[in-house]
Amino acid sequence: MKFWREAAGIVVLAFAAAAISNATAGRERKLAWLGRPPTAAAAERTAPAPGSAATPAPPPSTEPPFSGGPAPSGQLPAIPASPAGIAPHPAQPFAEITSAQAKALFDGGAVFIDARRSAAYREGHVRGSRSISVGDSDADAKVKAFYDEGHDANAPIVVYCSGGDCEDSHELARKLWGVTFDNVCVYRDGFPDWEKRGWPVSRGDAP
Amino acid sequence: MARFPGRRAVTPRRSRLLRFAVLAGRILLGVVFIVAAGPKIADPPAFAHMIANYRLFPASLIHAAALVLPWVEMFSGIALVLGVAWRTAGKLAAALLVAFLVSIGVNLARDRAVQCGCFDVHGPPKSHAQLIGEMRMVLLRDVALLGVAAFALAAGKTKEEAAPGPAR
Repeated sequence: MKFWREAAGIVVLAFAAAAISNATAGRERKLAWLGRPPTAAAAERTAPAPGSAATPAPPPSTEPPFSGGPAPSGQLPAIPASPAGIAPHPAQPFAEITSAQAKALFDGGAVFIDARRSAAYREGHVRGSRSISVGDSDADAKVKAFYDEGHDANAPIVVYCSGGDCEDSHELARKLWGVTFDNVCVYRDGFPDWEKRGWPVSRGDAP
Repeated sequence: MARFPGRRAVTPRRSRLLRFAVLAGRILLGVVFIVAAGPKIADPPAFAHMIANYRLFPASLIHAAALVLPWVEMFSGIALVLGVAWRTAGKLAAALLVAFLVSIGVNLARDRAVQCGCFDVHGPPKSHAQLIGEMRMVLLRDVALLGVAAFALAAGKTKEEAAPGPAR
């Protein structure tokens, strides 16, 4: 009886401390009590979250590849078609690509997204890449914001993390595929490989 | 001196040694748990990610576990160090160790390399072979800690039995 009483006391204290700690935590450290971590997220494609009536649908992929000239006023520049020969793959969430393919896509101006934690991103990331950490509680909001930017759903997007057994990039790729991006490429060997090859790297919060 | 059926006599010297060993084991276990809890309390999303990587727990419970378990570790560790409700804390610590052992053991059996997240929820990127090697070391370490917990709980009970109680 004494054991159960004391054990319940420790557990109740732990719940209380966790609640206070989570309530006072910064955005990056906060966790939803009933949320689901990114690695457990459904792989099913979901319809884009309904936003305001003014949320634009992604532009149709009938535009020719961006030729390098100035973008029409009022519109985002179209993402170039894949120079690495990666075709859109709407039936599967992602295609794994090699270092050489990642570099070719980088040289072609493809969007790179870093799936690692923000601290790792600040220490070093592929130059020009943006950060969407699947470990953050607002990862889904960032994916939706990226979708709302109106990028071409068939243009290649390269997602990477730390290589090896890291699966953050795969989870982010599933989220992006879930909001209708059909050409998400996972750079399998990730940032350590990129940096080891001496390819362009930036540090800090800016891409 | 106290004498019990089937047990050697607990001499004062042996009693002192036992008490010291129990104290040392209790404090060691407590400090380990306090140190392990710190990084997890500081970064719950990273710890949730690590729990999810084990692929053993219901997804809907992972966030709650990532928030509460580190505090259970912390308070158990503090109780062990201060000697307050330490036997209960020791049993909770042992239960947590068994859970960690099972989690790592199952993933080792599946040849799935996961970062333990025991003392560092971030950790630098490592190869499959490095992670598997680390998991084996963690398994050995946790078995040793479980041994310390079991000893402290068992030897502590022996100490209590040795102390003369009221006549019935």
